[in-house]
Amino acid sequence: MNSEAKTSFSLIGMGVVFAALAVAFASKPVRHVSLPPIPLVNTNFLSTATVRQAYPDLVRAKADLSQFDCYLCHDQGKPPKLKFDKSGNIIVPPEHSDIVMHHGTHGRNNNCFNCHNETNLTRLQTRDGREVTFSNSQLLCGSCHGPIYQDWEAGAHGRTSGYWDRSLGPIDRKICVDCHNPHAPAFPGRKPAPGPHLLHPVKTAAVKAEPSH
Amino acid sequence: MSNDHRHRNPAPADVGMSRRSFLRTSAVVTAGLAAAVASLKPLMEMNDFPTAERFMQKYYKEMTPADMDKVIKRIENEVQKQYGIRPHVRDLKPMDGVEFAYFLNLTRCIGCRKCVHGCVAENNQSRDPEIQYIRVLKMPDGTLDPEKGQHNYDPPKVPEKGFFYMPVQCQQCHNPPCVKVCPVHATWQEKDGITVIDYDWCIGCRYCEAACPYWARRFNWTKPSIPKERLNPNMAYLGNRPRRQGVMEKCHFCIQRTRVGRYPACVEICPVGARKFGNILDPESEVSYILKNKRVFIQLKEELGTSPRFFYYFDV
Repeated sequence: MNSEAKTSFSLIGMGVVFAALAVAFASKPVRHVSLPPIPLVNTNFLSTATVRQAYPDLVRAKADLSQFDCYLCHDQGKPPKLKFDKSGNIIVPPEHSDIVMHHGTHGRNNNCFNCHNETNLTRLQTRDGREVTFSNSQLLCGSCHGPIYQDWEAGAHGRTSGYWDRSLGPIDRKICVDCHNPHAPAFPGRKPAPGPHLLHPVKTAAVKAEPSH
Repeated sequence: MSNDHRHRNPAPADVGMSRRSFLRTSAVVTAGLAAAVASLKPLMEMNDFPTAERFMQKYYKEMTPADMDKVIKRIENEVQKQYGIRPHVRDLKPMDGVEFAYFLNLTRCIGCRKCVHGCVAENNQSRDPEIQYIRVLKMPDGTLDPEKGQHNYDPPKVPEKGFFYMPVQCQQCHNPPCVKVCPVHATWQEKDGITVIDYDWCIGCRYCEAACPYWARRFNWTKPSIPKERLNPNMAYLGNRPRRQGVMEKCHFCIQRTRVGRYPACVEICPVGARKFGNILDPESEVSYILKNKRVFIQLKEELGTSPRFFYYFDV
């Protein structure tokens, strides 16, 4: 093969390849992987509300508090009687059926008057007999949970919002019962918000086949 | 001279083109041109050509306040044109005597991912595809190796027994590898510790994404889409102003909030109070208290020498 024939052969070859590529590029639009549209996240997940709506919140919001007036039902100056079942667990009366007694995992904290003042139901009391108002309930919590109370005072435990720079604006601190239900303080489990969305569909079979290490 | 030249020319038969070689050459040239045009076709889908104003914009650090005012006007106009909402864009500078630090309590985190979406809402990330700055890893108890974390967990209830949850986002390193690799200095560390990106200077090479050991940087593969009712109009130039296709973005400690003294969005939305933020130079701040009083701290991948400003700790 002489050099001219070689050149023309390769030129024709390249021409064919280019032409094929041109047809391939032009006939196919830029390929978009079609994925299902991503729904907007539920606004519940964007709420900065605390886990629980607490009594002090309701007072601030001037809500109907008649159900919190102890002496509509209870007699003044007469400590209410507690009832226990055979295994020593407290029987929550039907009027208070919204209360789940689950403070602590040991199950021994099952007496209303560990925290409530039996002679004055509008007050709380610590185990050493100090009276505490409902709006200052963190003092009662702190009387048992000392280290956490110390962290909370320093800002290291609990929710904070507002301004980290106190000279520029107020900080919004929450007290214990803003988030924790005092009768069952552990947070209930919750549905997690949606995770990452992938740019490419996951081949679940392939992922499963991958050996674990 | 010219006469001479003409005389030396070879015979006309040798110069002229044979029919065959003409056809061959023209076929190759046509095919080549067609291929070149076809390969440029994606440019036709480009819908975000820079305006002359944006094209001629100066480097962030070289702009005078007057230049910056013009740029902010331009950005506000662009956002208004696209979303129908007049935003409030500011160029916020770091405060004196402030260095931010972030503490995340792994004992408290329940893996609910509210921080992920609080961040998306605050920082105007694209919703489809959705860009998330925070990745929550579901970690089996007993390890801190992020390679063992699960990214896509979706049980009916969190937390799950036997696991803890470790949210990972930009660690705002003292020694950031992402800044070192940027070929155009579009990302740098400011004196309050925040590593920022100038979205108008970024060329989208993604070197920083490759350099970051924490998977913190995100790339806009497509034109970001944000429904206008979800647009946050409180914006900062180096923060949450809307991005373009082809630029990097990442967590910037909510510059638009933290540089005016407020807490970042992820801190405010965390339902369990696992996230703590503040000025580490202020001995009265909660972050200083945590650093003084807590005992177990983790800087993720500390052996790399990046020295993050983001600390994980346990309540012990």
